[in-house]
Amino acid sequence: MQYSVVLFHSITGALQAEKRLKGKGIATKLIPVPRQLSSDCGVCLRFERKDESEVKAALEEERIDIQGIHAI
Amino acid sequence: MSMIIDARGLACPQPVVLAKKALERADDLTVIVDNATAKQNVSRLAKSHGLGVSVEEKGDGIYLRLTRPAEESLGGKVPLLFEPTVLLVASSTLGRGDDELGSVLMRTFIHTLGESDVKPHKIIFMNSGVKLVARGSELIDDLRALEKGSVEILACGTCLGHYGLKDAVEVGRISNMYEITTALMRATKVITI
Repeated sequence: MQYSVVLFHSITGALQAEKRLKGKGIATKLIPVPRQLSSDCGVCLRFERKDESEVKAALEEERIDIQGIHAI
Repeated sequence: MSMIIDARGLACPQPVVLAKKALERADDLTVIVDNATAKQNVSRLAKSHGLGVSVEEKGDGIYLRLTRPAEESLGGKVPLLFEPTVLLVASSTLGRGDDELGSVLMRTFIHTLGESDVKPHKIIFMNSGVKLVARGSELIDDLRALEKGSVEILACGTCLGHYGLKDAVEVGRISNMYEITTALMRATKVITI
């Protein structure tokens, strides 16, 4: 399975996003930020790459400030 | 593997220390000592690890042979002589402070543990830690993967009862204080989080 991760500026942001995406039926997993990346808060949400546009839309809708999305 | 340790002429607690170390690898260990105290101490060590001891007093020393008991006497289950590492999870959150942060840290810790080369032999969940093995926990998949990788997962029955989660266990098995105490005391390393 191919995954991407979305990085956040804060844990609160990550948790808010997790809740929101779960509500939309998008499977995510809260994991530590992969070693090759770095973020302000150290945790990120992993999701299946095929869901990327849905993830982006949901985060924009909720106005959750993200630090970036990366393929892993 | 069988090993022989010559602990003659060594002062207490050296014979026990050497024997303990050797037991990490040996399942049939002979320790040669030269005094009654060392004999007692090594015998006690053997018993605490559930090993059989046979003593032979020869002219040049006391030969103690430590062996693993027969399988049937343990109900078909052969425990490891040592449980290298036991992870004790005594709370559903990691560390003190903000519980929201603590919960995130616990989730990412257990996930990372699953990807680590070095895994504990057992993970024991106590107090609110038992919530992590019960329905609704975000850690079920990670814990199942660890269990599949032969990490034994135990949850304190008293604790599950207290939180009303006895019927909600999704991963691992329900244990009791006897088993938990033994596992902790037998471990060469206990990590409490």
